[in-house]
Amino acid sequence: MGSMKDKTAIIGVGCTKFGEQWEKDAEDLIVEAAYEAMDDAGITPDDIEATWVGNLYDFTGLSGSVAAEPLKLFGRPTTRVENFCASGMDAFRNACFAVASGAYDVVMACGVEKLMDVGGSGLPVDMGHPVLRGSSAPGMFALAATRSFHEHGWDREDLARVAVKNHKNGAQHSKAHFQREITLETALNAPMIAWPLGRFDACAMSDGAAAVIITRPEIAKKSKHKHDYALTKASVLTMDVFLPMYREAYDWLGFPATENAAKQAYAEAGIKNPVEEIDLAEVHDCFTITELLNIQDLGFCERGEAAKFVREGHADVGGKVAINASGGLKCFGHPIGATGCRMLCEITKQLQGRADGAQVENARLGMAHNLGGPGSVCAVTILGLPE
Amino acid sequence: MSERFFPDSMPPPMAETITLPWWEAAAEHRLVVQRCTSCEHTRLPPAPVCPQCRSEDSDWKEVSGRGEVYTYTIVHRTIVADQELPFFIAVIALEGAGGVRMISNLVDVNSDQIEIGLPVEIVWEDMSADLAIPRFRPVENR
Repeated sequence: MGSMKDKTAIIGVGCTKFGEQWEKDAEDLIVEAAYEAMDDAGITPDDIEATWVGNLYDFTGLSGSVAAEPLKLFGRPTTRVENFCASGMDAFRNACFAVASGAYDVVMACGVEKLMDVGGSGLPVDMGHPVLRGSSAPGMFALAATRSFHEHGWDREDLARVAVKNHKNGAQHSKAHFQREITLETALNAPMIAWPLGRFDACAMSDGAAAVIITRPEIAKKSKHKHDYALTKASVLTMDVFLPMYREAYDWLGFPATENAAKQAYAEAGIKNPVEEIDLAEVHDCFTITELLNIQDLGFCERGEAAKFVREGHADVGGKVAINASGGLKCFGHPIGATGCRMLCEITKQLQGRADGAQVENARLGMAHNLGGPGSVCAVTILGLPE
Repeated sequence: MSERFFPDSMPPPMAETITLPWWEAAAEHRLVVQRCTSCEHTRLPPAPVCPQCRSEDSDWKEVSGRGEVYTYTIVHRTIVADQELPFFIAVIALEGAGGVRMISNLVDVNSDQIEIGLPVEIVWEDMSADLAIPRFRPVENR
């Protein structure tokens, strides 16, 4: 198998404010993010040869028209990518293949979701199962939390610390959905959703869009960001079975999709010791328990140690690996199709030393991670600066 | 059970070709798991091809309906209108099912009684003549 290492580069990023954007529709959001990315790269829509757009729900939009129509990218290819919560990062992955092959020189990956248009609270979940019909995303991830409490001795405070950390980071970011810090007590006393997950253990329903401009390194060297473009060190996506929780021997203590994707990404990037080599990671904290499990699945600590890792500050900005310096899905928000590209924007700006929120000092290597569905799919991207 | 677990507003589950034998067994209050006749791997939910060896050959193995709570959650907010709250979702490690676990609801139980490892047994909620839905209750509350 080949490798994507050093074959593509991000030369422009853009991201809307995340949150409840009642005054904007999906088209407004994608235009805002795409033009910010194009301005950052110093290009115009005419320079974009092909586009990939990630979005999950049909009520946000269908087909490549989700991006082609508002941006008027006609006479060129635009492909809609849907891969659960990894949709945006899979849009990026496919865009990378296109420029790496030489078929195109400059392309765009973007993502958008207008979750407020769902017309209710909570994501529509129907897994075709007599019991899961009555459940919800929190109900699913709570099952992993309960089992982790049992196996590792974690408790609700361990979960709350993740929310407190991510709100502390997100409070500093002008584009985050929530811009306030919370205390441990606030998190612990919030209404229960699906025990042991309370309101502050769940990410929000948000609207938003994000976009990145991608090219090959030899072109990036002549671009506006010629000294600080973000090089792709690894770009990986793995599928697990659709409902991994039924599988014999699935232990509810982690997600095999993430473990597999991380292993492949580290091999591709040549990373031997992730916790020492990676400076920051945007990980898929759809729930606080998910962040703890991600930290382990991504190899930043041993199984059972993630709560301690967070408690001892190793996941803080300034710690061993800054986990969700943006505020993460928890505080920044999670408009599903946009999240993967939003993470890539964040990592790119962190590497360039121009983070909107909390800046990770001397960031050289950053990771973005999406977990989709009930553990069905995982995408991992690793970005670094040119030598 | 006298009252339905989920509100009438929730549409009943629909059988498909591959899941129909499972629902037919359920209507007779028999819990079955699908077993690959090529590699013996057991699976739920039903699927046309074995995830382990890709064989299309399978049969159905009846299991006791006993098991224990592997993990659980107490749901206080749901997306289903008129649902009585809280309710319990549990992953049941089924006895004699080749390692298969299934997700179901716990009934006839108090929240402070639920714990990992709690022995449970199946109870069937008859929705109609040809539809029954499996729930589980603590063996000690029989």
